[in-house]
Amino acid sequence: MFSFRNPISRAFATLALLLAVFAVLFPFVWVFMESIKPASLGGRPDLWVFSPTWENWNEVTLNSDVPFNILNSFAIALVTVLISLLCGAPAAYAFSRFRGFESARYSILAAEMMPPAILILPFFLVLYHLKLIDSQIGVIAAHLTFVLPVVTWFLIGFFDEVPRDLENQAMIDGYTRFQAFYKVILPAVRPGLGAAGVFGFVLSWNDLFYALLLTGNESRTLPVAIAGYWTFRGVELGKMAVAILIAVIPVLALSHSIQKHLIRGIGGGAVKY
Amino acid sequence: MNKSLSALRMTAYASVVAAVGQTAFAGEINVIMEEVPDYDIVAKLTEEFTAANPDITVNFDAMPFDAMRDKILTSSLAPSASYDVIIIDNPWTEEFANAGYLEPLDDYIAATEGYDYEDFVPSLAAISSVGGSIYGVPYYNYALGLIVRQDIFDEKGLEIPTTIQDYMSTVASLTTDDFYGAAMQPQKGYKVMEEWKNWLYANGGELFDENGNVIINNPAAVTALEQYIETFNAAAPPNSANWGFDEALRAVSSGKAATMLSYNWMLPALNAEGGMAGDLAGNFTLHEVPGGKAVLGLWSWGITANSENKDDAWKFVSWISSPEVAKRRVSMGGAPVRTSVLNDPEVWEQGFGEAYYKALAGILEDAAPLSTGGNAEELIEIVGTELSAAVNGQKGVQEALDDAARGVERANR
Amino acid sequence: MQLKYKFILPLALLLSAVMLYPLAFSGWLAFHEYRLTRLDDVHFVGFENFVLIATDPSFLNAMGNTLIFVLGAVSLELVIGLSLALLLQKLNILRNFSRSILLAPMFVTPIAVGLMFRFLLNAELGVIPHYLSKIGITVDWFGPDLALFSLILIDVWQWTPFMLLMFLAGLEALPKTPYEAARVDGAGPWLTFSRITLPMLRSVIVVALIIRALDAFKVFEYVFAITRGGPGNSTETIMYYIYQTGFRFFRMGEAAAAAIMLITVILVLVVLLVKFSQAEEARK
Repeated sequence: MFSFRNPISRAFATLALLLAVFAVLFPFVWVFMESIKPASLGGRPDLWVFSPTWENWNEVTLNSDVPFNILNSFAIALVTVLISLLCGAPAAYAFSRFRGFESARYSILAAEMMPPAILILPFFLVLYHLKLIDSQIGVIAAHLTFVLPVVTWFLIGFFDEVPRDLENQAMIDGYTRFQAFYKVILPAVRPGLGAAGVFGFVLSWNDLFYALLLTGNESRTLPVAIAGYWTFRGVELGKMAVAILIAVIPVLALSHSIQKHLIRGIGGGAVKY
Repeated sequence: MNKSLSALRMTAYASVVAAVGQTAFAGEINVIMEEVPDYDIVAKLTEEFTAANPDITVNFDAMPFDAMRDKILTSSLAPSASYDVIIIDNPWTEEFANAGYLEPLDDYIAATEGYDYEDFVPSLAAISSVGGSIYGVPYYNYALGLIVRQDIFDEKGLEIPTTIQDYMSTVASLTTDDFYGAAMQPQKGYKVMEEWKNWLYANGGELFDENGNVIINNPAAVTALEQYIETFNAAAPPNSANWGFDEALRAVSSGKAATMLSYNWMLPALNAEGGMAGDLAGNFTLHEVPGGKAVLGLWSWGITANSENKDDAWKFVSWISSPEVAKRRVSMGGAPVRTSVLNDPEVWEQGFGEAYYKALAGILEDAAPLSTGGNAEELIEIVGTELSAAVNGQKGVQEALDDAARGVERANR
Repeated sequence: MQLKYKFILPLALLLSAVMLYPLAFSGWLAFHEYRLTRLDDVHFVGFENFVLIATDPSFLNAMGNTLIFVLGAVSLELVIGLSLALLLQKLNILRNFSRSILLAPMFVTPIAVGLMFRFLLNAELGVIPHYLSKIGITVDWFGPDLALFSLILIDVWQWTPFMLLMFLAGLEALPKTPYEAARVDGAGPWLTFSRITLPMLRSVIVVALIIRALDAFKVFEYVFAITRGGPGNSTETIMYYIYQTGFRFFRMGEAAAAAIMLITVILVLVVLLVKFSQAEEARK
C-alpha cells in the first residue's frame, strides 16, 4: 500500500488528522469547562478565565437522578441488544444461507425506515393498556423496532463471510444444522456479534423520541434527563454539561476497549450487503 | 366521542386481555407536573398535605414540558385516567375543555368552605373559564414584564418607557457596538409570537375581532410588525434573529443588553445573590410592558374527566391553591396568582420585596393570554412561523401577515 | 415447518409483535379525518389527507429541506470519513489515541449535541464566533442563509465517526496483493486509490450510505433543540413536520399520510441506489 513517503505530504496529512481530532475534542473541552464554571458565568464565551467550582458535579452526581437514569439507559440498551442478537442471529443466518430470502434481506431494512412519530401513538395506547407506561419493558419494545432490523442486517453480512464448508464439515461430523449453527458458526462470527451489538447499543442509548414519551420517574433514560435540563426557565448548562460528560465517559471507555474487535468484526463481513 | 374512541379501545383491548383493574387505588392520586422550580415548592408543601391526610397518597410525575401534552392526551383518551390531576398551559385550556378531558369545577368550588375563588386575579381566573364553566384553578402565572438594568437607566438619566414609541427610541439610544438596548426573542413559533404580541396590543391590534374573524393582517398588525422589526434592527444584537428565551436571558444576565421582555419571575432569578447575573445582581427592575397591555401566561390545576378519584383530587387541588397554602407557596418563591397574596406585606418580606409584587400586580391588571380558542397551539406556530420569516427578510410584512391569516383560517376550518 | 422458517421465526414473531399493530393503525389513520381532540368526528376521507399534504407548501418545503440535509450531510460524511480512514491507516503515530477520539461523537445523545452546538455557535455568546471574531470573521450560523448548513455540519460532527468506523473496517479487510502488483507497475498513490481501493470499498460505501441516509431522514433532535424549524421555515425537516402535525396539532390523519409519503420517497431512493450499484457490479 502507498504511504506518505514525502515529508511534506506527511506533514500535511498529520496536520489534517490533528485538525479533525481538534474539531472533535473542542466541544468536549467546552462541555467540561462549562461543567466547572460557576453559575454566574454559564454560557459566556470566555473559555479559560474563571475560578472553577465542582458544584455542578456534586449536584448532579449526588443530588440528582442522573446516575439512576444512566443505569436505566444502560439496562434498556443492553436488554434491547441481547434480544436483538438472540432473534436476529438465527434469522440473519437463514437469510445468508437459504434460498428464497433474497428480497427479505432488503425488506428487513424497511422496518428501520418507519418514522418514530407515526409509531409512537399506537405504541403508547397499547403500552398503556398493558400497564407498561413508565416501565423499561415499554421502551425496550419501542427500541426493538429500530435496533432489531439494523442488527439483523449487519449480521447477514457476517454470516456471508463464513465459508459454507465450516457447517458442512460439522454436519458430516454428525451435528444437526441447528447444532452446526449454534456450536460452529456462531463462535466464528463472535466479533461480528460484538460489532452489531455495539452499534445497536448506541442507537438505543441515544434515543430521545420514544424515551421522552414512554418513560416516567421510574424508567427515565439519560437523554430524557439531559433534555430535562432544558426547561421553560432556560438551559441549566452547567448541570447538563456534567450529565453529558458522565454519560459519554463510560461508553467511550467501552468503545475504546473494543474498537479493535469492532473494526475487525465489521471488516470481517458486515460491509458486504 | 364514542365511535372511534370505542374503536380505539377495542383494538387496544383486543391485544390485551389483562386490561382490567387498572383503577388507581382508592386514596391514591396521580399528578402530572412540569419540572420547574415551582414544582419543587409544590412537592415540598405536599408532604404536609399527606401528613394531614394519611389516607391519600399523592404521586407526582414530573417531566420536561415537551412530554406533557402527549401524556395528558393519552391519559385522557384511556377509559380511566392515569392522571387525576393535571396542570394546564393556557393555550391548551379551551382545546382540552372542548374535547371533554376536563371536569367542570364549579360545584366543587362552591362546596369548598373558605376557598375564596374571587380572590384569584381576575385576568388569570378568566383563562380557565370556558363556555361559562370553570375548568381549572390558577397554579402560577408567567405574565410578561419589562426587565431593565436600572443602573444603566439611572446613569443615563432615562425614564422607564411606557409607550412602545418611547421604548423603541430608548433602546435604540442605548445601543452601541458591543452593548444592546434590547435582547429580543424572534425565534420561530411561540417565542416571536409571544414577544410581538406586546407590540400588537400596543397598537390596538388583536388576532380575532368580536365576530371571530381573523384580523391578524389588518393595519394595526402591519404597523406592529414593522415596529417590531425596526426595534430588532435598531437595538437587538446582530445575528440574533433565531434567539429564544435562553440566549436573550444570557445576553441580559451577562451585561450585554439593557432590557428584555420576559416572564416576571425572571427578576428574582436575575437579582439572586451568586446567581446567573453574578456581580450585576440587584441592578434589575421589573415594569409593565410598554403600551400597558401584557401577554399573559398561566398554568392552572385541572381534574381529568375520566379520573376515578375526583374527590380526593379536588381535596388536593383545593388545598394547594387555598389562600393559606398559596401564601406560603409564594413566600417560598412561587409565582403568585391570588390578589390577597400579592398584597400581603409578609409575603413581600419573605419573598422578593414589595417592588416586585407591586409591579406584578400592575402587569396582571391589564393582560390577556397569548392565544385563545380550540386551536391555540397550532395558531401560535402558524403565526410565529410567518413572523419569523418577516423578521428575517424572507417575506414582506404584509405578505407574511396575509399568509398567517390564511394559515389560521385553514387551521380553523 | 421447513427448517429455514424455524430460523427466522423468532425474528418474525418479535417484529410483528412490535410493529404490526402500529403500522396497520397508521395505514388506517392516513385515510381518516382523525384529530385526537375531536374523536367524535372521525370519518373515512379517502385520499383527502394525501391531497391536503401534497398541496401544503410547508410539507413540500420540509421535504426539500430534508433532501438537502440528507444529501449534504451524507456526502460530506462520506468524503470526510473516507479521508480520515485513509489518513488513520497510513499514519501510525497516535493511531489508537486519535481513533478513539474520532469515534467519540456518535456516542453522545443527539439532543445533547444539538444543545451543545446551539451555545457553541451562538452569535453573541458562543465560543466559536467569539474566537472567529478575533480574527475578523463574523458568521451568522443560524441566520436564514446558513441555518440548514449549520445543522448539516452538526450532523457531520456527530455521524462522520460512523462512516469512519465502517471504512476503517473495510480497509482492514482489503487484500494486500493488488497493492503489491500496483507498486510493481509503478502506479502512483492517486491511481492506486481510484483503481484499487475505491472499487474494493464499493460495497462498504453502499452499506454505509444506506444506513446513514435512512437515519438522516429521521433528523429531529437538532431542529428541535436549536431552530424549531426557523428562521421562517428554512430548517423545518420532514420529521419535525410530522411531529408538529401529529403531536402538537393532533392531526393524526394528516401526519400518517405525510409519513407514508416520506416512506415512499425513501423506498424509491433506496431501490434506485441498490439498482445503481448492482448495475455497476454487473458492468465490471
